[in-house]
Parts: sequence; C-alpha cells; structure tokens
Amino acid sequence: MDLSLNVNGRPEQFSAQPNELLVERLRDGLGLTGTKVGCDTGQCGTCVVRLDGRSVKSCLILTAAAAGSAVTTIEGVTTPGGELTGLQEALREEHGTQCGFCTPGMVMALGELVDNTTDREPPTEPEIREWLTGNLCRCTGYHSVVRGVQRACSAARAQAPVEQGTAQPATAAASGQEG
Amino acid sequence: MTAVTGETPLQAPIQGNGLLGQPLDSREDPQLLRGEATYVGDIDLPGTAHMAILGSPVAHAKILSIDAKAAEQLPGVLKVATAADFTDVMPLPCIWIPGGVESHFPPHPYGLPGSRPVLSGDTVRHVGDAIAVVVAETPRQAAAALAAISVEYEPLPVVTRADEALAEGAPQLHEAVPGNLNAYWTCGDKDRTDAAIAEAEVTVELDLVNQRTINSPIEPRGAVGDYNAATGEYTLYASTQGPHNHRFLLSALVLGIPFNKLRVVAPTVGGSFGTKGYLYPDMALVLLLSKALGRPVKWVDTRTGLMNSTVQGRDHRQHVTLAGTRDGRITAVRCTSYANLGAYPSTIGPGVATALMGRSISGMYDIDAAFCEVYVAFTNTVPLGAQRGSGRAEAAFLMERLVDRYASEIGMDPAAVRRRNLVPKEKFPYDNGLGWTYDSGDYQLNFDRAIELSGYADMPARKTEARTRGKRLGVGIASYVAICGVGPSTRMSKEGMLGGTWESANIRVHPTGEVTVTVGSASTGQSHGTVFAQVAADELGIDPATVQVYEGDTLKAPYGQGTYGSRSYSMAAPAIALTARKLKAKLVKAGAVFLGVPEDKVVYADGKVFEAGNEENTKTFAELAMAMWYGWGLPPEIEPALDETTHFDPPDFNYPFGTHVAVVEIDELTGETEVVAYTAVDDAGNIGNPKIVLGQIEGSILHGLGQALMEHAEYDPDGQLVSRDLGHYALPRAIDAPFFTLDKTTTPTPHNPLGAKGAGEIATVPPAAAVVNAVVDALSDLGVQHIDMPVTPEKVWRRLRGEAQ
Repeated sequence: MDLSLNVNGRPEQFSAQPNELLVERLRDGLGLTGTKVGCDTGQCGTCVVRLDGRSVKSCLILTAAAAGSAVTTIEGVTTPGGELTGLQEALREEHGTQCGFCTPGMVMALGELVDNTTDREPPTEPEIREWLTGNLCRCTGYHSVVRGVQRACSAARAQAPVEQGTAQPATAAASGQEG
Repeated sequence: MTAVTGETPLQAPIQGNGLLGQPLDSREDPQLLRGEATYVGDIDLPGTAHMAILGSPVAHAKILSIDAKAAEQLPGVLKVATAADFTDVMPLPCIWIPGGVESHFPPHPYGLPGSRPVLSGDTVRHVGDAIAVVVAETPRQAAAALAAISVEYEPLPVVTRADEALAEGAPQLHEAVPGNLNAYWTCGDKDRTDAAIAEAEVTVELDLVNQRTINSPIEPRGAVGDYNAATGEYTLYASTQGPHNHRFLLSALVLGIPFNKLRVVAPTVGGSFGTKGYLYPDMALVLLLSKALGRPVKWVDTRTGLMNSTVQGRDHRQHVTLAGTRDGRITAVRCTSYANLGAYPSTIGPGVATALMGRSISGMYDIDAAFCEVYVAFTNTVPLGAQRGSGRAEAAFLMERLVDRYASEIGMDPAAVRRRNLVPKEKFPYDNGLGWTYDSGDYQLNFDRAIELSGYADMPARKTEARTRGKRLGVGIASYVAICGVGPSTRMSKEGMLGGTWESANIRVHPTGEVTVTVGSASTGQSHGTVFAQVAADELGIDPATVQVYEGDTLKAPYGQGTYGSRSYSMAAPAIALTARKLKAKLVKAGAVFLGVPEDKVVYADGKVFEAGNEENTKTFAELAMAMWYGWGLPPEIEPALDETTHFDPPDFNYPFGTHVAVVEIDELTGETEVVAYTAVDDAGNIGNPKIVLGQIEGSILHGLGQALMEHAEYDPDGQLVSRDLGHYALPRAIDAPFFTLDKTTTPTPHNPLGAKGAGEIATVPPAAAVVNAVVDALSDLGVQHIDMPVTPEKVWRRLRGEAQ
C-alpha cells in the first residue's frame, strides 16, 4: 500500500506491506538507525519515537496505522554532531548513559516529560521513575538518568518566561555520592 | 613535578598531572545521546544479505530428518544450510577447563575441549540449539523461511537440574561424558575443614539455590560477516567484548583459516555484562555464508533468541556449612555445589562455575579451614557463562547467608560477628586457603564506614516504627572480596585457562603532538575512550583532548584479551601508563641531545623536558614530537619517532572489596518487599574517573537487587524456557531502585602501577545476599531461616501465613 509520513519534518512517501512495523520503516526503509530494537515485544523502550508529539513504541505500531502522522526520531532532535538539547546536555552532565543502546529511546520518552514541565512544577523523583518504567536500562541502574531529568527539568523551568527564577538546583535531589 | 626515576615500574608512584581521579565527562556520551553510535545492527554494507537461525523447539531430541526444500523456494531466499553444509568446520572450543582435575568434554580435533558444532546435526540438547540457517534478501524473508523448514525429531528424556543430571538413570547428554559429569573440582583443605566442623562448638547449615539468571544486555547479539574473495580476507563485525580472542579462536580453532586473514571489529556494543565474550555459532556462520554467497551476511538476534542461546548465569545448588565458637569466631566453612553447565561447555563456562566461585567462598573473613567442592554437570539448558559479578556473587551469597544464620544461632548481632572475623589489616598479603592471595585491604575501615553510614544503630527503632504502618522492616549486611585483574597468565594457566591473559597498549605520538592510544580491550559501555585518554594524558602531562583512543578492531589495536571481570582499568590502563613511561624515558634520552646537556640533567615533567635548574632550556611535548619525527641529529642508539607498546602481565590478581547494607520493608498484607535504603561502601583501589565508576556501581547494585527480588530463568520439566522474553523475565525498572547511599574507601593494590583494582561489576557481588539477609531478618520472628531467590511477593506472603518454603 502507498503511504506517507512526515519524518523529522520531511515528507516521506513509500510503498509498504500492511504488516510492516513503524520501526522497520524507520530503520530499514529510511535508514534512521538511531531508533533501536531491543526486545520485539514492547517491553524495553529502545524504539520509542514521538508520534504527533506523543512518545510511542515504534515496534508496537504498524506503519499503516501511523500513516499521515508526524514522526520525530532521535535524528530529528539534533543535527549530526550538533548542539545537544537541554535534556541531552543534562544527561551528559550526569553521565546518564553507559552502553547507550537504550539512550535514544529514553531521550525520546523523557523529552515529552521535560517539554511539559515548563508550565508546571518540576516532576518529583517518583514521577520521573514512573515515566521511565517503559524504558529498560541494564547499565546505569537509572539513577544518573533520574538525576539528568531533574537537572533538565530545573533548567527548562528556569528558562520558561513565566516561571523564571523558581527552579531549584538540580543537585539538591541527588543523594547518591561518588562510589 | 616529578622526574622519571630508575625504580621498577610497579614500585614507581603515580607520576601524573592530577588528571586521574577527576570526574571528566564521558566523551562517548554526546554521540550516544544523539543516537549516532553504530551498533552491529546499524551496520549496512552494500549488498548485505540477512541470516536467520532455526533454533530447536525441543530441549532434547535426535534429529531424524531436515527438509528445507519448501524454504528454498520462498521469495528472497538465497540459501538454507544445515550441519551437512559445514562438515569441514571444527566445533567451537572451550578454553577454560577447571584446573588440576579430570574434566570430561565433547571432543575437539585439536585435543581441546569442544563446545558445540556451528550447527547441530544429529542431536539437539537445549531449546534454541541452532540446527539450520536461512539467508535471504531481507530479515523478514529469512525469518519467514525458518517456518518452512521441516524437521523430524525423536524426543529424548530431559534433565534441567545439575543434581538430577548426576543421578543414576538420568538422561545422558554427550556420549563422551558418561554420567553428565563435566568435572569434579575442589579447593581448600578437606580434612582440616571436616575436622574443624566435627569439633566445632556450633555448626549451621543451609541448602541454597542460586537461581539461573539471564544477563539481558539491552542490545541483543549480532554479527556481520564480510568475505573478500579478491584478498581471501574475512571481516567479522560482532557485538563482542573480546575481538582479539574471538579472532584467535575463530580463525585457528573453528574455521581453520590463517590468523592474519581474519579481522574482528567490535562496533559500539550495547552492554554485555559477561555474555558477549563467548564464541557463538553465528559468528562462524556469517563468515562461512558470506564466502559461500559472495555477499556480506548479517544476523541480528531477537530477544527470545537471546534468551534461548546467549549464555546464562549463576545456577548453583549448594549445601553449605559453617562452624564456629559460641562467642562468634568462625572456624570453618564448607561448600558442596552442583553447578549447571547447560548443554555444552561455553567458551569459559567451566572456569566460571568452579574457580571464580569456589576460591572466593570465605569472603572477607580470616578462617582457619575452608573447603569447596563443585560438581559441574551437563543439562538440557542454555550453556552457562559469566554474568556481572560471576562466581564471586554466588560465593558472597552463600558465605553471607551463613554468617547471618550463625549469628542467629549464637544470638549475636550479625554486624558484630562479621567485625570479629574480618581479615586484619596487618595480615596482608593474605592467603585465604582456597587459592587466592588477597593483595591489600583495610576491611575494618570499610566495614565500619558502611555500618555507620547505613544508620545501623537506629534499626531497632525503625523496625518498631515500621510495624505501625503494617510493614516489617529488615536489615541485611553483606561483605565481599572480588577477584579482579585477570590476569597473571601463568597463574591462569594453572586454573586451566588456554590462552594468554595479559593486556597490551600502544601509544603512537604523531608529528603534530597528538597522541593515539590503542588497546586490546573493548568497551561495552564503560567510556574507555574517555578513561584511557585520561590515563595517557595524566602520565604524559598533556591535554587529554589531544589523545584519541582506538580499541575493538584487531586491525588497529595490539593483541589483548578484551573486557571482562572488571579488568580493563586494572589491566589495560596500567599497560597505557607503562607505555607512557617508556616514551618519557626515551624523551629524556633524546632531550639530552636536544637540550645539549647530560642525560642526568634532563627532567621530564608537565608535558615537557627541561634542564634541571634551568627551566628556560626546554622543549614542549609538541616540539619533541616533531623533532623525533624528523629524527635529525639523533645518535644511533636512539631510534626516531615515538611509538611504544607494553604487554602487561601482572604479578598477581587484585582484590577489590566492600560492604553493603540493605534495608527492606515487607508489606504484611501483600508480601511485597521494597528496598527502602541501600548503603554501599566499595574499595576498588585508586579510581581513574569517579563519574564513570559511580555509574557502574549504581548499575551493578540494581543488577544484584534484580537477582534477589525478581530475576529467574525458569525452565519447565520439558526444558522449555518459561521466561523467554521480557514479558516473562523481570528486569528491574526505574521504580524498583531507591537512591543509594554510596561511599568508598581506597586501598591501592601493589600489583599494578596505578594501584587500581577492578570496579565495574564488583558492586553486583553483595546485593543479593544483603537483600535476602534483610528479608530473613524481617521474618525471623516467624522462624524463617532462609528464603530462596527471587524473593517474590508470593513466596513471602506464604511465609507470612506460616507455610514452609
């Protein structure tokens, strides 16, 4: 069937089998390999992309079902070798990554959380952890990721015009010490 | 500023510029955060065909026939291959035979132990055992064709437990191994231990199951084979943590091709935790099929495929005994263990099941008599391999459970019993009587810090308070010593390791003053590019931004064992530091020429050479690099250029250690266990980059908590892996982790010039014991003396209602 998608701001038209998964279109069809496949069953979250702004697992959705939508993948978040987003920068500062395989999916899932914190109180630690339950990481134990999100949310809030000056320092919530 | 001295390398103090110990940001992170790193699944060579593997659906059977005709006719299918296509290919080898004992293996033509053929032809021995492959134009076509291969099986009886596999009348797995006994291995002094136990005032015993678990790196394994018909060279891209070792094993011992015609490349690897250091059939198959088809051949595993074929961990059934005095002095420990090797000996599985576990059982304690015996058995399960903390975690579990059981028996505080029995500081180096000689440590300092930091003294009050909320609070301590820094090659040969275990590094200084470091190690997420640059820059006194690190490609890097057992920073990094010292020594000699002063007047410090007492007469590192590249005016005894290599084979292992304290709350109504506080004080000697190590420690602890609370590779009686995907195998998620309270002590090892001990996985060793100790503490008034892992809510709920285990 002939389908169209808007991927990272670019219109894409192609022919796909009815049973094709969105992640297959992105990785194999469009060569956007930043989106990963880790489990085939929707458990691990390495394939998360944004579909019309909401984070979804691209291994659980047919390309046909996404037809006509706007898809943002990790490649659409930054330019190659370019400046990191606030979330990515905060994760870098907290070393919220190790092997990096789960990282693009986490950035896509957490991006939605961070984007939505400029007009509300920053998410609490349990909220961040709850948000992260769809993404598995075996390396970090999630702590540095949580710290990174706290840092990113504080920074995002500090930069939001209405809420200026109310952000709390990101380090306040991080109780882990160096090992 | 410190001059190069004439001391031997291992005695020389760190001469760095203060970079080591600094939490530099990981230079790998931006690429990972942008999704730009290339993992094996992202490699797309022109003309690539795709391979899928048919795994056995049954655990044990004779293959009567395989009919692939229908599959061959399907769209896109290029080739279907079975064992009959690879009769001239040797079986995969096993290179770690338990040392000093009679071992029984399937044969390999070179007289080594054999593991398994690249495809099983007449018998399958576990679910997932590879029996056929399809290569097609697309991954979907390859996968679809698997279903069209018709295989006729004659079922054979199945055994999945090590102890049952050794019983009379048990199903037999290998003709060459009657009775399924791969090895009976011992360490320690049996007579002395038996006597101490017989004479003891107090003895306690436990029957323990250290359940089988699945490492579950988030990236499944994958491989791309690329044969170049014009040159006869093979290239393998694989998710491997030991590219050099895989090159050696594959070329010489499996494919029978010259070593120098195989290049192995590890691209970015998405986690391993031990499992990606093994030789798997797919690595050989993609190369063989690439040659047969004249195209690159790519294979990427599925999660269920990983669960049914990538090595699994732990899996011991143990009867353990501890003897002591009424006043808390431990006098002996004994362990009888049945280790489940799985259907085939994996590349180093038998060593993991024996030495790594057995020689560690006495932990941090000064015990007069210790003995461990391990029966290693074949069963119809996935082959056993290493897993984050492998062997050492199993040892810590049994010892730390025993200490709590003993403390309970004599009515002493478990912390007090531990404190009393720690190896005292003045006894190092300490021979533990089981084969390890601990290098250095201040166990009392470490232990006291953990107890204090955990608020241990407040626990009685916290228990009372928790009861008012319907919760039972329990506290559990676990201490450990973890052998790391594998290793001294001669020592490893006595353990039965077939291969050199040294590590190497090369430093090449370019005419522009920039530096390339290449190492045999291979990162699976440990920021080697950051840390190794830090080591070289520290020693040379230069800007780390000018240092580039290459590893993971056998064409670029010198030979080395790779990354496992937390060895990279205590093996590869010392090799880098020693190489930098060779460069500095050469620059001092050359500096004498360039500065026009005698050699004993030349000082190398802070990235330059200068004349002692006259710092105006100097040349910077960049100036020296250019001058050495030109080579003008050098005397014959000084070769031009700056390019040095070191092969580092340490005098002995290193032994990090630590103490962890878990506090759990158990819900009286649901039986759910929540870890509400976790304190860890680890000692990995001198740490190069604390930001990197912090992440490894946090991840390691959660991995250990996973084994305690939820992870279990569960086989049904037919040998089907029930937990065959992430819907059935529980991994800890973000909500399962409390923030940890972490601290460290620092006891450098004398066995390498950095004083560095292993760090990456060590914090996985004690958490399971700490948590189960805490759970038993919480339930102790119900008469609970032990509870098997994983501590599920159902198990606890039943115990709360007085049911037996």
